[in-house]
Amino acid sequence: MRKYVVAALAAAGVAALATAAFGSTSSPNRANAPASAGTASVACGKTRTIGLAAPITGPAAAIGNQQVRWAKYYVKRWNAQKANKNKQIKVVPGDTQLGVDTAFAVKVAKSFASNSKLLGVVGPAGSQEVVASTSSYKGGGLGFVSGSATRTTLTDGHTDGNRHGFFFRTVPNDGAQAPVVANWMTKKLKWKRVYIIDDQETYSQGLADGVQKILNSRGVNTTRDSISQTDSDFSSKIAKIPGNTQGIYIPWQLAPQAQAFGQQLQAAGKGHIKLFGSDGLFAPGVWKIAGSYDSAFPYNPKDPIVTSYIKAHKGNGEFFGLPSYVAAQVVVGAVTKACADGKATRAEVRKDIAKTKLKTTILGFPLSFAASGEMHAPATFGVFQIQKNGSFSRIG
Amino acid sequence: MNPALSQQLRNLAGLGVGLVAFMFYAVYFSPTQGWVFFFQLTVNGIILGSIYALIALGYSMVYGILKLLNFAHGDVYMIGSFIGFGVLTLLGGPLSPAIPVALLVLCMFVVAMLGSGFLGLAIERFAYRPLRDAPRIAPLISALGVAFFLENSALLLFGSQYRNYDGYDLISYNGIHIGGDSGVFIQYLGVIVIVGAVLLMLALLGLVRWTRLGKAMRAVSFDREGAAMMGIDPDRVIAATFFIGSALAGAAGVMFGLLFSQIYYLIGFLAGLKGFTAAVVGGIGSIPGAMLGGLLVGLIESWAKGYLNGNVSDLVVFGILIGVMLVRPSGLLGTPALQKV
Repeated sequence: MRKYVVAALAAAGVAALATAAFGSTSSPNRANAPASAGTASVACGKTRTIGLAAPITGPAAAIGNQQVRWAKYYVKRWNAQKANKNKQIKVVPGDTQLGVDTAFAVKVAKSFASNSKLLGVVGPAGSQEVVASTSSYKGGGLGFVSGSATRTTLTDGHTDGNRHGFFFRTVPNDGAQAPVVANWMTKKLKWKRVYIIDDQETYSQGLADGVQKILNSRGVNTTRDSISQTDSDFSSKIAKIPGNTQGIYIPWQLAPQAQAFGQQLQAAGKGHIKLFGSDGLFAPGVWKIAGSYDSAFPYNPKDPIVTSYIKAHKGNGEFFGLPSYVAAQVVVGAVTKACADGKATRAEVRKDIAKTKLKTTILGFPLSFAASGEMHAPATFGVFQIQKNGSFSRIG
Repeated sequence: MNPALSQQLRNLAGLGVGLVAFMFYAVYFSPTQGWVFFFQLTVNGIILGSIYALIALGYSMVYGILKLLNFAHGDVYMIGSFIGFGVLTLLGGPLSPAIPVALLVLCMFVVAMLGSGFLGLAIERFAYRPLRDAPRIAPLISALGVAFFLENSALLLFGSQYRNYDGYDLISYNGIHIGGDSGVFIQYLGVIVIVGAVLLMLALLGLVRWTRLGKAMRAVSFDREGAAMMGIDPDRVIAATFFIGSALAGAAGVMFGLLFSQIYYLIGFLAGLKGFTAAVVGGIGSIPGAMLGGLLVGLIESWAKGYLNGNVSDLVVFGILIGVMLVRPSGLLGTPALQKV
C-alpha cells in the first residue's frame, strides 16, 4: 500500500512539475504578460533604478568590468550633482558572463524585466547576447542601450529579429569600421599580403569578415585563422605565418592578449610584421607593441571627464568602456525625463531614449538615434599608431 | 618479463610508431610542408608540454596516494602564477628589476612554489582530510568546491583584469637558431622552461625513488593501512604529497606567466583540464606517465594549432583522450588495477 502511495505522490509531483514547465513556456498569455509592464506606471520617488548588463565574471570579465566602471562613473557623477539630489540613480548590475553561454544574458534580462522598479537598461555587451535576450527585454517593455554590440544586422529589423524601438547602441557598427581599416591597409600602407586572425567572438568575426571581403575585392592576398579568447600560447599559430606577410589584422577585444601575441611574434623573429587592431584593443599602456596600428573612435583625450577617469583609475583609460558611459548617460537622461511628473512607464523611457539628443559626448561626436536604434551619423573611425612609450597617436 | 612492464613497452612502441607515421605524413602530405615547420611545432609543443607535465604530476601524485581527483589543482597553478607576478612587481617589474634578473626569476619560482605548496597543504587539511573516510564522491565534490572558491577568491583579490608578466622583456627576445637563420628557433625563455621542468621532474623522481619520504609515499600509495601499521604516518605523507604536487603547479604557473605573458583568474580551468588529461593519458598514478602525458598533450596541441586552421586544438586533444581511454583505459604507462576475486 505504502508503495502505491509513494508512486501516486511521485506521479502527482511529476505532473505538477510538467504543468508548471509547460505553462511557463507555452502559454501565450504568460509570455505576453510582461509586455503590460511596459505601460505599468512606476512611482519614481527620489531614487530611480536602471539595470546594467555586462560580463562581470567569465572570460570577458576584463572588458565587461571596464564597461561597468565607466557606466557607474557616469551615475556617480550624476548622483553627486546637487541639482540631482532628488533624482538619484540606483544601478542594478547583472552578470551576463559573455563567452560562457548566452543563457546568462537571458537570465539577467528576465530578472530585469521582472523587477518592477527598473526603468531602463545599459547593455548587454555582446551582439549574441542582444539577440538572445531581446525577447525578454521586449516582453518586459524595457529599452536597452548597448555600448559594444556592433553586429551590423542587429538593427536591420529582420536578419536577427526586430528590436526597433527597444534596442539602441552608442557604438558604431562593424560596417562603419571595416572600410576604414581596409582603406588604410590598401591605400596608405599598400599591403598586398595580410594575415587575418579573429578571436571567434561575434564582434571579431564580423570585423574580420568585413575587412577580408574588401581586401579580397582589391586583390590583396589574405589568409584567415582564428584563436580563442582563452588562448595564451600563439607560438604554433605564429610559426604558420609566412615571413613575407606585411600585416596581421587582429580585431580582438582583449588588449593583454594582443600584447602577448605581439611579444611572441617578436620572440619568433617575426617582429617586422605589423599588427593592426580594432577599437576593442584601444588600450594605451596595455597593448604597447610599438609601430602597431589600431582603429578607434576619435575621442578627445583631453576631455575633462576622460582625464578625471584616467586619474581615478591609476592612469588606465579603459577606453573600451567609453561608449557604456554614454549609454548610461542616455538611459539616465531618458529615465529622468520620463519621471518629470513623478511617475514613469518603461514605454515612456523607451520613447525618451529614442528622442535623445546630446550635443557633445565623450566619444567626440553628438548623439541622436535613428528609428533603427543606430546613431545618426556617428563620426568615422580614426587610425592610431602605437608609440614607443605605449601611447596611441592619431595618424588618420 | 613482468606483464605490466611488457604492456607498457608495447604501448610505448605503438606510440613511437604512431608519432613517426604522423611525422612523415605531416612533412610530406600536409598543405604546409617542410621539416623545419614540423620541428618548430615540435619544439613549441615540448615547451608547452613541459608545463602540462608539471601540472599533471600533481594530479597523478594525489591520485596515486589518495585515489582522489583534485580538481582544485588547476587553480593552485593559477594562484602560483599570481604569486610569481606579485614577486616580479614587488621587485621592480620586468623593465626595471631591482635585483639581478637571474636572482629575480629564482625568487619568483621559490616564493611561488612555497606559496602554492602551503596552499596545497591548507586545501588538504581543511577540504580533504575531514572527508578521508567519507564516500568517494564527497571529496570529489569538495574538490570542485575548492576550485570555485579559489577562482572567485582570485577574482575578488586580483580583479578580473589580465596581468602581463612581459617575460620576454625581463629575460630576452633572443634565442638559439638550429639549422641556420631559416631553421628551427628556440627562445632562451623556452630553454629555461624546458631545463627547469626537467630538473624539477628529475628531483621528484629522485625524491620518490631514493628518499625515506619517497619510500613512505610509495608505501602509503600501495597500502595505507599497512603503511600505518609499519609506523608511517599517512596523514603526514599525504600532506607532503600535496605540498610537493602544489609546489610543482606553482612552478608551472610562473613558467606559464614568463612564457605566455598574460595571466588572469580563470587560467587554471583549462590548464587544469589539460594537466588532468595528460595525467590520464600517461596513466594516472604514474609519475613517468604524467611526464609523458604532459609532453604528448603539448605536442598534439602544438601540431593541431599548426596544421589545422581555426581553433580546433582542444577538440583534437580531448578527442585523443577519449581514443586512448577506449584503447588503453589505464593510460600509456598505467597498470590495470588488480581485482581481488
